[in-house]
Amino acid sequence: MTTVLPSLASGLASVALAASDAVVSPADPRLVQVALVISVLLFVIGLIGFLTRRNMIMMFLCTELMLQAACIAFVTFGRMHMNASGQVFVIFILTVAAAEAALALGLVVLLYRKRETLSSEAWAELKE
Amino acid sequence: MSAKLYLIIPEIILVVGAVLVTVLGLSRAKALRDAVPGATVGLIILAFLSVFAVTTDERLAAAGLLMPGLVVYGKSLILLVSASLVLLGVGLVDRRLERAIGSGQVAFDPIRVQRGEHHAFLLLSIAGACLLCNAPDFIWAFLAVELVSLPTYIVVASSKSSRKAQEAAVKYFFLGALSSAVLLYGIALLYGATGTVELEPMRQALAAQAASGGISTLAIVGGVLAILGLCYKISAVPMHFYAPDVYEGAATPVTAFLAFIPKAAGFLALILVLDVFGWSGHSFTRGDDLYIIERGLPQPITALLWMIAVLTMTLGNIGALLQKNVKRMLAYSSVAHSGYMMIGLIAGPAGIDGVSGINATLFYLLSYAIMNVATFGPLASLERNGEEIETFDDIAGLRQRHPWMAASLAIGAGSLIGLPPLLGFWAKLYIFMAGLEAGQWHLVLVAAINSGISVWYYLRLINDPLVAQPTARSETVTNGPSIWPRAAAIVTAGLLIVAPLMLGRLVSAANGVTRGEATTAVAAPPTETVVSDASR
Repeated sequence: MTTVLPSLASGLASVALAASDAVVSPADPRLVQVALVISVLLFVIGLIGFLTRRNMIMMFLCTELMLQAACIAFVTFGRMHMNASGQVFVIFILTVAAAEAALALGLVVLLYRKRETLSSEAWAELKE
Repeated sequence: MSAKLYLIIPEIILVVGAVLVTVLGLSRAKALRDAVPGATVGLIILAFLSVFAVTTDERLAAAGLLMPGLVVYGKSLILLVSASLVLLGVGLVDRRLERAIGSGQVAFDPIRVQRGEHHAFLLLSIAGACLLCNAPDFIWAFLAVELVSLPTYIVVASSKSSRKAQEAAVKYFFLGALSSAVLLYGIALLYGATGTVELEPMRQALAAQAASGGISTLAIVGGVLAILGLCYKISAVPMHFYAPDVYEGAATPVTAFLAFIPKAAGFLALILVLDVFGWSGHSFTRGDDLYIIERGLPQPITALLWMIAVLTMTLGNIGALLQKNVKRMLAYSSVAHSGYMMIGLIAGPAGIDGVSGINATLFYLLSYAIMNVATFGPLASLERNGEEIETFDDIAGLRQRHPWMAASLAIGAGSLIGLPPLLGFWAKLYIFMAGLEAGQWHLVLVAAINSGISVWYYLRLINDPLVAQPTARSETVTNGPSIWPRAAAIVTAGLLIVAPLMLGRLVSAANGVTRGEATTAVAAPPTETVVSDASR
């Protein structure tokens, strides 16, 4: 896993650079590459965390991690293409993430009051 | 005022209406609180009428939309169906509380009433689905998709006071958050590959890439992630497994809402994402000749959609076969119908009789919406000892005591099968024909086999209410508190019979969605300058 992820990430990043060679790109390519690798890593860590954790707060934080990975990708690509759309998008993502956080914490508190546990495994009435 | 602002007047009405409805629900006067569902439906109808008042060709042209035809068709479809979905929920929220207040057991307390909020959240969700129809860029589209989902999480959690509803809400929420992160990452990669978040420039940029050696891997990966994220909204594989649990846990009127509004929003967003990838082919002119480089979607995207469609249909139908709970069964059936609709998306612009795959999908969405209300309507309007009815035992022999509800259930199920005179048959026919025309006969074969399997479990929905003998449980089924859910069920069941008579008009309305786009593409090939830029 440790060797696969960075190579996957740098592969993606180099594809990104190849795709953008028609665009004026004053950003340092290495900077873009490093930022994209971080973004992919964050996304994958969030995804793995979401699938393996059973604590509802941790699961929610993992989805936040994935949203922030998308934010980093947007900012990086915005820098790469030298336009502000990426940055603008990030502001909206932050707003949505805040709304989701408010909702998630409300739901988790509601569930905690019923069962006195944060484990998602305590909630399995609905199944086949 | 700019064209974009004029076009979102219907949504402005809905959002302002959400505030009004919240305040109305807090009123001390019972008559005002009881007026909340009526006011909600009134606002939706007002928004529906305003769609026609504010939409003109000049404004559509000035708004820079990818598919201008979606605005009128999509919004009027969503608004009309959601009016009936709101009617299904009349009398659902605050029922016990209102009774207690009426009999003087408890004093009115603004903190405990929920009816206003419930309807406000429904209005916000509907506004989100409408906003998606005139999304000029991905920021708008993403926010609209989130506006559809976020209120539904709360509505699910507060729809019943049982633990099941809360469990359903938390499952729905966590998977929703995951899927929106995946969708967002897909959009980020698309932005990275094209340098813009606006849909029309993005389509041109991808067309330019296709012209000069193929669409970049980054864009393909982005498209795949965006499609996988949207699969959650349309409850398609691999994001479908929440559907049975959530549909069972939520109150029946809310389930009917979930089975249509997020699904419609998901399909509209999918249509936009796929259109960015150049459905109708990337055309450009060089000299006097018109070149079409690549027709249809890129190979990996088509393959992905193909797998999703086959798995969704099959898993949905097999899951539905095994159910004893009617709501769970309808949840799996809703998954299966998403699979059928995917055929239209794969067929894209191919089709017969002027009905392309996209049009067939939109028409299927319309007929699925009506069938959905007709089948969930009887379940929402009947009850047993104050609990909702959900097993097959509850609906056995329904004809004796509730003939209209039994008929509505049977007509809805017949239409879901695709029995010939009903609307569902025509929807399926157009989808299958579009699939055949696109050369996807494998897919149509799988869909036909799946339709055959689905007959088995839908027949139970016809047989149990109409033919079977009443059971001890179904003897005690009574009418719910309000007449409106029954009215909505009967009207929609009637529509399933009557609408095929106006088939031509309905289909031509669906066709209008893509016809406008095709003419603009031919009149002014926009890709030409971009192509010469990129191939330099």
